[in-house]
Amino acid sequence: MALEKKKILEVYRKMILVRTMENTHFRLLRKGKINVNPHLGTGQEAVSVGVTSPLRQSDILFGTHRGVGEYIGKGMQPKEIWLEYLGKRNGLCKGKGTQHLADRKNNIPGLASSLGSDFSMAVGTALASKMKNKDQVTLFFVGEGTCNQGDASPSMCMAALWNLPVVFAICTNQFCEMSYMNEHFPTEDVAPRAAGYNIPYEIIDGQDIETTYGAAEKAIAHARKKGPFVLEYKTFRMAPHHSGDLAGYVKKKDLEIWGKRDPIDLCRQKLFQNDMLTPQDDEKLNQTVQTEVDQAVKEAFLAPDPTLGDLFQDVYASKEVG
Amino acid sequence: MGRSIPFLKALNEAMAEEMRRDPDVFVLGEDVQVGVFGQTSGLVKEFGEHRILNTPIAENAITGVAIGAAMNGMRPVLEIMFADFIMLAMDQICNQMAQWRYITGSQYGLPVTVRTSVGAGFRSGYGHSQSVQSQLIQTPGLIIVEPSTPFDAKGLLKSAIRCNDPVIFFEHRKLMLGGVEGEVPEEDYTVPFGKAVIRKPGKDVTVVAAGAMVYEAVNAARELGNEGIDVEVIDLRTIVPLDRDTVFESLEKTGRLVTVEESRIRGGVGAEIAALACSDYFSLLKAPVKRVAAPMVPVPGSPILEDFYLPNKDSIVRAVRRVM
Repeated sequence: MALEKKKILEVYRKMILVRTMENTHFRLLRKGKINVNPHLGTGQEAVSVGVTSPLRQSDILFGTHRGVGEYIGKGMQPKEIWLEYLGKRNGLCKGKGTQHLADRKNNIPGLASSLGSDFSMAVGTALASKMKNKDQVTLFFVGEGTCNQGDASPSMCMAALWNLPVVFAICTNQFCEMSYMNEHFPTEDVAPRAAGYNIPYEIIDGQDIETTYGAAEKAIAHARKKGPFVLEYKTFRMAPHHSGDLAGYVKKKDLEIWGKRDPIDLCRQKLFQNDMLTPQDDEKLNQTVQTEVDQAVKEAFLAPDPTLGDLFQDVYASKEVG
Repeated sequence: MGRSIPFLKALNEAMAEEMRRDPDVFVLGEDVQVGVFGQTSGLVKEFGEHRILNTPIAENAITGVAIGAAMNGMRPVLEIMFADFIMLAMDQICNQMAQWRYITGSQYGLPVTVRTSVGAGFRSGYGHSQSVQSQLIQTPGLIIVEPSTPFDAKGLLKSAIRCNDPVIFFEHRKLMLGGVEGEVPEEDYTVPFGKAVIRKPGKDVTVVAAGAMVYEAVNAARELGNEGIDVEVIDLRTIVPLDRDTVFESLEKTGRLVTVEESRIRGGVGAEIAALACSDYFSLLKAPVKRVAAPMVPVPGSPILEDFYLPNKDSIVRAVRRVM
């Protein structure tokens, strides 16, 4: 095993937590209890958790709208996510961001609603790290589809030009919203674009948590000492684009093939094989996580709603603008 | 007081002094080390290439860079070379920068100053001449500044750089290149946002303007004075926040209102002020509100057509006569 027991059990638990959170989200939506439309990351947990878990709290993360994997990976707590998703006044963003999660204490500046607008923001946070001589890396986590946004190019260009501590981690989940990626890309891979800016890159399997974690650890270390790095993880989105997407365009055969390499199953098998976990303990773990999530949901529902006065707060810092 | 400096120098001094005062302040933009109109010229000598940062030509992305730097503790002063190019950065400015404080519940305010040169009359054609100020007033979260004098340019730019909200700062090319000079103190000072100033007192008509149009309005007032019409000229200084008190206290005195701007007329700053007058101060009005603004056509390249396009002293004089 490349990861020590404590670490692999930690990321295994995080992956279970992520899937439990997302499945719970979907159930709440079905029951009409939540408005935020889940864009689930089922099947991608080894990427989202693996890429963010090696980050320090002081490092900066820009995540995606797909599920909660990277946010859990960076340290956000389930209750914090539910409070925000439910639009509660004591949510991290006071209920004003909902799906656009931001968490200052974990250095998560937020999620741009228009895909890819945060590409260049990640360059900006990394620029500030360099200007302030902070030992701090920015990880920009992004889907492959978003890499076709115009800002992807100048962002990578500036990251290389100024040699900034930033990792662009691309989660290639085979779909760009509601179409296969081969309808969006003339190439199989996205990461080689980095070569055009003299940025080193690596293309890796996204199903095995030890691989995803190890690659991220290396890339983050590279960014910290030497400059930008691009990672591309190959995975498969087992869920539709969003809950209303019937996903008729997804080939059944692909679901079968990738389903056999589910990241949580793969990790569990490894843990069993290496006597790091027993089936009994695994069952207990899953139950504990579900209980924890259910409790967080329950508490979040009971939390106070925002008031009319809250509508007008947080627009300006300046007092002279009303 | 006692020293007169050009508008351009006032801008340059504001940036230099703020960078000396606060190590988190830095300037970035396309060719800022040279300084396309001179606003940032020479700063690189004192502050170095890392604090006067030349960027690639990518307006939306460099605006995102400024946002990111602000998220991480810096106070960037971003130059967008021409106001028309603000349109290339509309996503970053309107979708992101303006709204980020709100959608993060004040976890991440963005102290970004976006400076941009604005204004027609230089035969630069449709894409280097537009006044886009009014296109930004619909977006909550922005402060919109347009100075008319060197004193205001320096004091307002300092306020912008110290402000914890994003500020869009319009620098009119006529004021920068037309040799406008004015008294500017040696010592540190700021000009607050939302405080308009009366450039010429009068009792018959209130004329509201900003930036270079203030000079057209003052010239119009002088001409109208010869006809016995006593015009009060208000210089807004900041379009957002709008100093309603000064504008409508003046209206209370005059009962007549003319708005002046170089932006186009439809849905403009004048339309907003006229709407406020009609909805909240209707009883003060003795005559319909008139708006002087650019027409709903592109800025033409032909010098003759461009002169027709631009609001000026004469169009203000005509509008004032109509409300009398």
